[in-house]
Amino acid sequence: MEKIDSNKISSWWLLVPTSFLYIITFFIPLVTLLVMSFSRFESSVTTVGFYLDNYEKIFNDGITLKIFFQNVELSLIITLFCLLLGYPVAMLMRRVGPKARLWILLLVVSPLLTSIIVRNVAWVLILGRSGMINDLLISWGLISKPLPLMYNTFGVVLAVVHVYLSFMVLPLFAALSSINNSLEEAAASLGAKPLSIFLNVTLPLSLPGIMAGCTLVFILSMGVYLTPVIMGGNFVVTLPMLIEDAVRNRYNWPEASAMALLLLIAIGIMIVISSSIQKWVKS
Amino acid sequence: MGKKLMSNIEGYRSLWPRRILVIFSSLVLFFLTAPLVILIIQSFTNESYLSFPPPTYGTRWYTEVIFSEDWQNSTFLSLIIAVIVTPLSLILGTLVAFGLERGPKKGKQTIQAIMISPMVLPHIVLGLGLFKIALQLNISDSLWAFVPAHLTITIPFVIVTVGASLQTFNISLEEAARSLGASKFWAVWYITLPIISPGLIAGAIFSFIISFDEFIITFFLATFQRTLPLEMFSTLMYQVKPSIAAVSALTLAITAILTVVLMFRGQVVGGGKIIK
Repeated sequence: MEKIDSNKISSWWLLVPTSFLYIITFFIPLVTLLVMSFSRFESSVTTVGFYLDNYEKIFNDGITLKIFFQNVELSLIITLFCLLLGYPVAMLMRRVGPKARLWILLLVVSPLLTSIIVRNVAWVLILGRSGMINDLLISWGLISKPLPLMYNTFGVVLAVVHVYLSFMVLPLFAALSSINNSLEEAAASLGAKPLSIFLNVTLPLSLPGIMAGCTLVFILSMGVYLTPVIMGGNFVVTLPMLIEDAVRNRYNWPEASAMALLLLIAIGIMIVISSSIQKWVKS
Repeated sequence: MGKKLMSNIEGYRSLWPRRILVIFSSLVLFFLTAPLVILIIQSFTNESYLSFPPPTYGTRWYTEVIFSEDWQNSTFLSLIIAVIVTPLSLILGTLVAFGLERGPKKGKQTIQAIMISPMVLPHIVLGLGLFKIALQLNISDSLWAFVPAHLTITIPFVIVTVGASLQTFNISLEEAARSLGASKFWAVWYITLPIISPGLIAGAIFSFIISFDEFIITFFLATFQRTLPLEMFSTLMYQVKPSIAAVSALTLAITAILTVVLMFRGQVVGGGKIIK
């Protein structure tokens, strides 16, 4: 067993200020939500206790659970699109020279560092009823009335993919760039075709990056609030939107807390799945 | 034999798969950047409505935005929060990064995971919890609520960026300074911090941008106060006017400048140098 040096342990004092902050702004809020989720909400009065009312409501009201599964489905679609769009970019980044790589990276990360609202505004201006695409198509005489490009799942998926694609490309690039080129060249020298090299060498070796990217994008997509509100109007409803509505319009903290916990459980399950896949791949 | 081997490798490196890759990636990069370019072009319209391409160009909406009291107030509030949050986040996060790096190896992973866990918590959940606490402490709708809330989501980024820089830092440089009589504090101040400055700069820029753009948590905590993202959101929900494009372009300019600084410090992928 490793001997713990007292000099080293004293370094942990440096964690105290942040830990103190986290207790107030992170752990207490989470515990409060947990407690609240088991509280009872009746005629605008919240009674703390151990009631399963809120969870029962989630599972039996026929709508919350449906929205939750829609939310999961939406996140999976978004994750899939991010992977399909992001993988080739990450591959290209690995193949090109350092200067081109820096430029691609700059383009990939640029949306990441611009506000989500700004990016959504950009899409509203492009996809809206009198947005750029509809304007151009009408003025060219190709269509007579605007196409429904937003206020639907299409618009939401497009805008969220745009927001989170960078989170997919970065881990993919990290994983791909750690693959030794000579492995692929060895396969090539033995006569393997590019496609078979990709499927049998590159893809399996980049699996940790794929898992990391997919997990990250899935988690982020599950909690997305702003983009569905702006791009989906009231036609795409997500669990975060229900949470916000429960608290701000109905002051029903217990129900909102229970839904927040449902969201956390879904994310927890995703993390467990992805880490067990990674372990399975390693062994 | 050797020739065949080489030609196989050449075949693998042949141009067609690569061309497809380049074309496809270019389309993806176009998809990523075009909306922002279109947004900027549209913001220079002189009309009272948005269209592409704008019939006439001018800075009419920029003037309107810059002299509008609502936009001024919300920008000011966002800047105040970000300016308070950034140094605090940098100090607290750097302390944690040092503590983790210099502390015992045992348990480091677990503690690090806990310290950066706010990163994976959906902001809607964090916002909900913080709102409850802020209401109980009677501090909602004030800087006392906004600043700690923003710190909680920015500190993990500082821990990651500074931590990555510290891992590549050669501690013997600091020990050399110590052996020459420098106290621990001054050795770190004069030797370690300047060397890990790319990580510090990255952490500070991340903190600033994240705080400046934060929406959902502030949305919960604010009742009357409006940060810039909140003002943009409520304007957008009301009407899509050219002013919203002008404000977006202005915030884009602020973050773009910071991004360029960040990129040329080569510190985006976990402290790994992009240019080897």
